[in-house]
Amino acid sequence: MIAHPVSTAKTYIFVWLSLLGLLLLTLGSAFLSLGAFNAVINVGVAFAKAILVMIFFMHLRSGHYILRIVAIAGFFWLAILIGLTFTDFATR
Amino acid sequence: MSDSAAVLIARQYDDAQQQRSAADLGIWVFLATEVLFFGVLFAVYTMTRFNHPEAFASASRLTNITLGSINTAVLLTSSLTMALGVRAAKLGLSRPLVGWLCTTIALGIVFLAIKATEYYLDYGEHLVPGLNFAYAGADRHAVELFFYLYFLTTGLIRCIWSSVSASSRRLPRWHRAAHIVPRTSRRSR
Repeated sequence: MIAHPVSTAKTYIFVWLSLLGLLLLTLGSAFLSLGAFNAVINVGVAFAKAILVMIFFMHLRSGHYILRIVAIAGFFWLAILIGLTFTDFATR
Repeated sequence: MSDSAAVLIARQYDDAQQQRSAADLGIWVFLATEVLFFGVLFAVYTMTRFNHPEAFASASRLTNITLGSINTAVLLTSSLTMALGVRAAKLGLSRPLVGWLCTTIALGIVFLAIKATEYYLDYGEHLVPGLNFAYAGADRHAVELFFYLYFLTTGLIRCIWSSVSASSRRLPRWHRAAHIVPRTSRRSR
């Protein structure tokens, strides 16, 4: 197991600014009506924000590789949950 | 604060680094279970939205954009202050850690205050399900409220506890990054 280095405060502030930028993106999509694409933008931005927070604020980048596997596994099972339930609803 | 004493190592671990890695792995497994726990909520949201898109569209138009965006920004900032607090803990800085934890708690309280205002405004517009609901639509607000408060108060209580114990000199050694701890930390059995 490797020791994890400590990120600089500048990295954290940069990630925070990116997160605020993504928030402005969703704000913009709230004011523009683009039909179904709005939902795509919002979910995509939410996903990007979650990835940013997990990698930088929760130290996935500097931790052991097994932490990343566990994180991916959690979202994999979530995908199964939503995906397989969706197959029922989408084919009615 | 002194660097002389060793980190407390539980009996089953060889060294501080292994203990730290085990703690990290345990937290992440817990987080994966939490993702699934709240994932049920996400699944319900997705299915309901798929089945009733126009209801969701018209209901979301009734939410307060200003308060909601400010709340999101408050949450993101509290993540930043929490990450900076963890960084201070890893560097062994006890007082900045307490400062960042208190800032995170304060931002959490600000979030709750703004949320309370939002719900008060919703109540004024007859959008609170079960109380004076006068709009036929999805009734996920009650569940939302429950989970918001559950999440926030759990996080707040954790921050308060960490802040109290961090200010008592003992905890920063526990959380200090393993590579800063000197090699003499092996406990004799």
